[in-house]
Amino acid sequence: MDNAVNMVSATRALPLSSRVARWFSKSWKHFILTPLVLLWLSPMIWIVLTSLKTKVEVFDPDAGILPAVLNFGNYPATLSVAPFGTYLLNSVLVTGSILIAQLVTITLAAYAFARLEFPLKRLLFSLFLLQVMFPIYAIFLTNFVTLREFGLINTLPAMIVPFVASGYGTFMLRQAFRQVPSELSDAARLDGCGHLGILWHVYLPLVQPTLIAFGIISVVTHWNDYMWPLLVTNSDSVRTLPIGLGLLAKSDSGADWTRLMAGTTLVVSPLLLVFVIFQRRFIDSFMHTGVK
Amino acid sequence: MSHSFAQVWRKEVLLAYALLLPSAVFLAVFTYWPILRSFWFSLHDVMLGDSRIFWLGAENYLRLLDDGLFWKVLGNTAFYTLTTIPLSITVALLLAVALDSKLRGMSIYRSAFFYPVMIPSVAAGMVWVFLYAPGYGPINSALEFLGLPRLDWLYDSAWALPAIVLMSIWKYSGYFMLILLAALKLVPSDLYEAARLDGVGPVSRLLHITVPLISPTLYFVIVIGLLHSYQIFDYVYVMTQGGPADSTNVLTFYIYQNGFQYQDIGYASTIANTLLVFVLGLIGLVALTLGRRVHYMGER
Amino acid sequence: MATVTLQNICKSYDKRDVVHDVSLTIEDKEFMVLVGPSGCGKSTTLRMIAGLEDITSGQLMIDGHDVTHAAPQKRDIAMVFQSYALYPHMTAYRNMAFGLQKTTSLSKTEIDGRIREAAEILNITDLLDRRPKELSGGERQRVAIGRALVRQPKVFLFDEPLSNLDAKLRNRMRGELKRLHRELGLTVVYVTHDQIEAMTLGTRVAMMSSGRLQQVGAPMDIYMNPANTFVATFIGSPEMGLVPCKADASGLLSHAAFGKGVNIDRAGLPGDVILGVRAEEVTLSSGAGMARGLVERTELIGAEALLEVALGNERITVRGAVAGAPEPGAEVGLDFDLSRVRLFHGGTGHAIALQD
Repeated sequence: MDNAVNMVSATRALPLSSRVARWFSKSWKHFILTPLVLLWLSPMIWIVLTSLKTKVEVFDPDAGILPAVLNFGNYPATLSVAPFGTYLLNSVLVTGSILIAQLVTITLAAYAFARLEFPLKRLLFSLFLLQVMFPIYAIFLTNFVTLREFGLINTLPAMIVPFVASGYGTFMLRQAFRQVPSELSDAARLDGCGHLGILWHVYLPLVQPTLIAFGIISVVTHWNDYMWPLLVTNSDSVRTLPIGLGLLAKSDSGADWTRLMAGTTLVVSPLLLVFVIFQRRFIDSFMHTGVK
Repeated sequence: MSHSFAQVWRKEVLLAYALLLPSAVFLAVFTYWPILRSFWFSLHDVMLGDSRIFWLGAENYLRLLDDGLFWKVLGNTAFYTLTTIPLSITVALLLAVALDSKLRGMSIYRSAFFYPVMIPSVAAGMVWVFLYAPGYGPINSALEFLGLPRLDWLYDSAWALPAIVLMSIWKYSGYFMLILLAALKLVPSDLYEAARLDGVGPVSRLLHITVPLISPTLYFVIVIGLLHSYQIFDYVYVMTQGGPADSTNVLTFYIYQNGFQYQDIGYASTIANTLLVFVLGLIGLVALTLGRRVHYMGER
Repeated sequence: MATVTLQNICKSYDKRDVVHDVSLTIEDKEFMVLVGPSGCGKSTTLRMIAGLEDITSGQLMIDGHDVTHAAPQKRDIAMVFQSYALYPHMTAYRNMAFGLQKTTSLSKTEIDGRIREAAEILNITDLLDRRPKELSGGERQRVAIGRALVRQPKVFLFDEPLSNLDAKLRNRMRGELKRLHRELGLTVVYVTHDQIEAMTLGTRVAMMSSGRLQQVGAPMDIYMNPANTFVATFIGSPEMGLVPCKADASGLLSHAAFGKGVNIDRAGLPGDVILGVRAEEVTLSSGAGMARGLVERTELIGAEALLEVALGNERITVRGAVAGAPEPGAEVGLDFDLSRVRLFHGGTGHAIALQD
């Protein structure tokens, strides 16, 4: 106690210059990180600022960075040129359906891989894992042909079905299932549960953090998906938000930046807002994708 | 007696296959069947929307060898992959090391570097088109302010692809940083203290202690980086459409051009197969060169 | 009436025998302890009774019904696990209710009644709303026992339930388990590797080693008359001293340390025998003694002294008085209590009957 008090008063007694040096040695990182953070944030800041400018300001080299007057008119203008409500609904439907379907398929498959013994287990597991290496970008061409044969082009299911099985999710959940002590499933068997009962009453409640982490990653991925929905949709009734935004850019042919940036703000804000609110959860989820 | 044991076992096997069935059906139809079919298509003359199919044998592959544009596209793809991944991982590692301490405002820093991951690729691409705009874009204004020459960026065939690389670093290094940060937290701090007592400087601490200890994660991040590099299609589609003069045309986009714009599914499949070989080759290369040297903590 | 009968039970994984031909009957209201070193097959045997492991061959009867291949929940048993295996996401109350909801058609109030009653007996009424995370080791243990109690099964199975507790708490829970068994008249099969638990808890003890049943009997019976050298050294603390020696036709045992020899006065012994001596069956001799040995270690444990004495290459433990206990290095004479010591066959290690 006494020592601590002495130390504090000693610090106080130090000359100003060494107090500054001390403070600097503790916080020098901020001097490097703060400009970097501003650099990283600048595109987003630019989006929002531009969405509040007038068309003239954008092209005026003397106009400065900030809008002269906050011009909110770009937002209603954007909403009036494209059916953003429909896009939003489609995005929700597609992303939600993918998530639900994935949760079902990966839960069942992960349980089999984690707790059951069967022939060809290793081979099948490798095939599940290998799927990670073949994302839609690598196989979109033949998948497009297949969906065309199924007559699914320009429907919502076309944007869902290629993503129903997830090797990555199966792997994540299998790892989590294997962490559950086997005595718990023994206890559940004595309590009258079969395999599905154990899965539902014991495993799923216990791996909730993993399910949430996977859910977040899946939603972020498919909410933002561009290429595949672009290829399989050709009418507004089934388009998702990113496609709508891309279309807006095309129709405005790059000239109407204010309206485009208002649209961009609208499209990126739902996810960013959720991210800001549940920041910790999001960060944790992505943080642990790499650590088993 | 053992008869009934066999029954129990058979029941478990049936259950296992039943549980795998939903995943397996979708995996088969939308991942593995397309790969096989793509190979089949590559041996034929197939047009989009035309049910007729003609045997060509290796002709598509021979055409590939003579296709100068294909080689340019392959080079572009390699350039993008081999610059974006090392650069963004280096940035990510430096950020992660800087943030791996009790720092005031830590969560703000983390979120600020991470948020680009949350932005749809199409939105990111569009904003950067604006940022790179030669006349009124803020990047050129900033260059001018610093007394540097203005560039034509996306309109200059020498700068268009590097411009996309720069944007990709902004988009992805935050994600890699998070994964590396999680790994750094597992490095025992007494190792750093011991090195510090031995008079090891910060740079060699990073190179000789941190990097070897988190090498399994670095390896993982490289693989994730490879998979994310596919997404360049979105940026090329939104920002340059492969131009100027095909300087940003990459394999995924070239497949799209051949398959959807020229409707030549056979030739597009041939390129798609090359892409698969390219990515698997890179992953194999990474596994062979780095995977072997990876240090697993706690082992030996 | 709840008897458990194991008939020629075998268990093998990939042709490797883990449990070999075990036959055992556990009587109604009996506290049967399966004891043995780790890997001896005792836990596997218990898990086969529970239905958690398939029985490779043999027959298992509970209360007269053949349940060899019955599902666990159809056997009318309950089990307490080593790690307690409480569901982490459920409160103590839900943990106890879960099995009842799944396996019985009891009403909510009946279930509640059973839980309250069990909680009362175990003194955990105040803990029912807590989750396992918020309970101490001893409290978790009680909840786990409560979860078994509410099922009111025919047989209770315990798999090393005390091994995760500290020594003091373990002692207390031992007393508690004994009280529960006595007051509620439970039929118990209890697995442990701790011979003290086996001796203090069991009405009978079944000793297992390398997948085989070695001996079944009352604790004191096993202590006094172990069936072979393995049981002899496993049960009892300090360990029984074993001295291999030669026997002649008249029953005279000779060993380098025995001097004139020790006369057991018994004809028809095999040439090679092993003399088994517990610490309380040997005394320090005031004279030359039957055998002479070198004190290697002297442990004063309060009321008495334990001496480790070397007889040639063998070591035996001798109980003695604290006062005047010899120092290490001293040569001492020993007298065996020949009415209590026992002999084992030198080759097989089986006990040789001395009393007819």
